[in-house]
Amino acid sequence: MNALEADIRLRQGGFVLDANFTAPADSVTALFGPSGSGKSTLLAALAGLKKLDSGRIALKGRICADAGLHVPPHRRGFGLVFQEARLFPHLSIRQNIAYAASRAPQSKLALVEVADFFDIAALLDRPVRNLSGGEKSRVALARALVSMPDYLLLDEPFAALDGARRRSFIEVLLAAHRRFKIAMMVVTHSIDDAAVLASHVVAIAQGRLVAQGAFAEVAQAPAFQALLDRRDIGAVLAAGALRGAGTVQPTGYWLRADHVLLAAERPRAISARNILEGRVMAMRDEAEDAVLVTLETQAGPVLARLTSEAVRDLDLALGKPAWALVKAHAV
Amino acid sequence: MLPAAEFEILVTSFAVASRALIGALPFAIAAAWLLSRPRMPGRILLDGLIHLPVILPPVLVGFLLLVIFGRRGPAGALLERLFGLHLAFTMAGAALATAVMIFPLLVRSIRLAFEAADTRLFEAAAMLRAGPMDRFLTMALPLAGPGILAGAVTAFAAAMGEFGAVITFAANIPGQTQTLPLAIYAVLQEPGGEAEAMRLALISFAVAMCGLIAAEFLQRRARRRQAG
Repeated sequence: MNALEADIRLRQGGFVLDANFTAPADSVTALFGPSGSGKSTLLAALAGLKKLDSGRIALKGRICADAGLHVPPHRRGFGLVFQEARLFPHLSIRQNIAYAASRAPQSKLALVEVADFFDIAALLDRPVRNLSGGEKSRVALARALVSMPDYLLLDEPFAALDGARRRSFIEVLLAAHRRFKIAMMVVTHSIDDAAVLASHVVAIAQGRLVAQGAFAEVAQAPAFQALLDRRDIGAVLAAGALRGAGTVQPTGYWLRADHVLLAAERPRAISARNILEGRVMAMRDEAEDAVLVTLETQAGPVLARLTSEAVRDLDLALGKPAWALVKAHAV
Repeated sequence: MLPAAEFEILVTSFAVASRALIGALPFAIAAAWLLSRPRMPGRILLDGLIHLPVILPPVLVGFLLLVIFGRRGPAGALLERLFGLHLAFTMAGAALATAVMIFPLLVRSIRLAFEAADTRLFEAAAMLRAGPMDRFLTMALPLAGPGILAGAVTAFAAAMGEFGAVITFAANIPGQTQTLPLAIYAVLQEPGGEAEAMRLALISFAVAMCGLIAAEFLQRRARRRQAG
């Protein structure tokens, strides 16, 4: 079932946003696109912070925007976590979260439970200015969840975080989605974050929809691959297909073609933890004497980038069997 | 200790200034909020109207108040008929004249406090289901609170010193409308009143300084708070 149906057209200066898409009710949707593609504007339009020129937005069957109708943000049922945490500086952390709880339509989440879940219980009585970036992000997420939105929009809330903090925030986000069963759309320009978080993707570039649908299918669409940097070309694999190095089970992995080795025979006595058996489905010549090989495996398509010399040595050809080798730390 | 006469003058001044401030504050907050909204229609007109008392001679403001709120003025006649209320030549009238004079000062500082607030926080509040009135009461007002307080203290200090409009509209009646500057004016009319005038001037100066120092202190607190 679709939670969200949107047909958005709006002009902002010289920039035109024109996208028609849906998002499912039970999963995380990645809103993916390069910088400046209009992702934040799209979220603001969904939330009602920007008015449409024309189009329609429906959330769980309720119309939020249509010709001549603009339901204001506070009545739409969207939650929005901004890039900056936007905590209220005149309130303590506890009061920030209570502000959301007291305006929730039905308060099902206990503040203490949420505080424990996000590991912010010790911060509750502190003023906002004494928090680190990662703590602020977690409080902002907790505050948004406590307001019980029908759909949660996240505008790259981990953009300001790096390294381990970023990974841990993404794990918390994923865990929160599973625990509180809330549908969400996460803006990101990182293909890895998108694969870890989302099972569904809406991709835009220059204000226009490029592709939408289940991540595994969209990932193979040439228009989607064209959005990626050459080094990021790859395929998405469901989490169950690989053994990875993380702690929280991700939704999937983005497996770069550059991180996959191919063998023409079943490999033995090798350190790679993940060996996927498949058949060569496609071979595409690339610049710089490289060949992009698509292997159809039980876990779905896997891409591997080889030199043309390696392709000749392995005697790879369409329909022939091959084995993809992936290091656990590559995912 | 102050002699009884000076004490009475000081009490009158405080009574007039506090009535003026309390009466003007809600209107000043509303006007400042409207002026701080970038898309308010008729903003320039409202801004001009509010600032008129700064440009006009205070005596003229007092005269206009007499024309409007005097016994035969349209508003004055209405007030008398409905409530039996006289404004001209009363303490309430002195407070009204003072309120009109301090209004631009009040609006200006409150507007600055509203404009300094981070409007992105209002969006965040809206996304937590807070409606416009809710956002005004729980975000805009408390965030601007220290700034509003500082503006109110400055305006109070200024209210203690209003002269032209007050003496024209409310006259110089001891115990009723004779505030500090009016008392100074009165004693200067009499021969040998300079010493008394000087004493009153010192009191006036002390009150004004206290107000300004308090306002500065509150402004600093306001800035710290806005910084979050």
